Amino acid sequence: MRTEIITKMAPLAAKRIGPARVGIGGPVGSGKTALIEALVPRLIKQGYDIAVVTNDIATREDAERLQRSGLIAPERVVGVETGACPHTVIREDPTLNLEAVDLLDRRFPKLDLVIVESGGDNLASTFSLDLVDYWLFVIDIAGGGDIPRKRGPGVLQCDLLVVNKTDLAPHVRVNMDEVRRDVALARGKKPALFTNCLTGDGIDEVIAELRRSVLLDA
Amino acid sequence: MLKLEGIVGHVDDSAIAAKLHHLRHHGAVEYVLLAPADTQRKRLRVISDAGTDCAIILARDERLEDGSVLLIDDQRAIVVRLDELRWLLLEPTDLAAALELGYFVGNLHWRVKFDGSQIKVAIENDEAFYRERLAPMIERRLARIIDEH
Repeated sequence: MRTEIITKMAPLAAKRIGPARVGIGGPVGSGKTALIEALVPRLIKQGYDIAVVTNDIATREDAERLQRSGLIAPERVVGVETGACPHTVIREDPTLNLEAVDLLDRRFPKLDLVIVESGGDNLASTFSLDLVDYWLFVIDIAGGGDIPRKRGPGVLQCDLLVVNKTDLAPHVRVNMDEVRRDVALARGKKPALFTNCLTGDGIDEVIAELRRSVLLDA
Repeated sequence: MLKLEGIVGHVDDSAIAAKLHHLRHHGAVEYVLLAPADTQRKRLRVISDAGTDCAIILARDERLEDGSVLLIDDQRAIVVRLDELRWLLLEPTDLAAALELGYFVGNLHWRVKFDGSQIKVAIENDEAFYRERLAPMIERRLARIIDEH
């Protein structure tokens, strides 16, 4: 019997385990690209082999921004022009993004992680789990302190909620204590983290959560 | 953390079933309980009923199902158990209400099944969320919630 089981398990050794796939979605201007710009150099410094897919509605502006940033080799960034509602290509029909991820996977066979950035969308934006293993939803304080209270599908269903631009709270008359309370109510047992992507506040915590939940090495 | 790479087999596979039978007698079969939606994932972290911290990593062409065996050796086995997907059963009061209800659930991207004149909405998150969203339609008597399945 033992032999039978080993025989059954043997083909698994030949199976290729691909890179982790992490989606980053959220409203326009919430800081999705800024979050990637904060994550990428830190993850590379920690030894991770990374590539990024960006989505824009009619341009490849986010891809070009990352390619020019010097934070990651330009050939490791692929832009997808969605041409329609951004959530369509990360949820209903993620074919374009699956092709982009596969392209990067073939081009860089040692990848640990592919980040898929959605185009800017609304609070109902969610990722298909056929495309990513884990997804973050980024909202920002300047967008309004009431966003967590509105409990859109993105806020409720994401694996990790990131509340960005916390430094702006006093300038836009947002009470952070109320935001933290509303986030806790909306998220229940699911994680949420607070960041300022420009200064790097909270980014190490995001990386720790990614390592624990999807890179699976911590 | 115990890394579990790939699916070894299924509880119904003859060789595995015999081995599992033996391990069960020694209380050495652990279960990881997953939500139905999690079967789409290729990477996830979950604690087994015996407290083992499991990091599950699958190839892209593998898919977890109820009874997937993630580990089996002489000491123990780890098996996937799927939580049952529950449904909220809704009955629209008339054709116009059915149109409005259909538009509403579609606009929210809820997963639904149709059963005659009824709509079943998959409860994939907190049930209270679905009831909250439906409350105005229920108050307007456009539909009633019949039961959960």
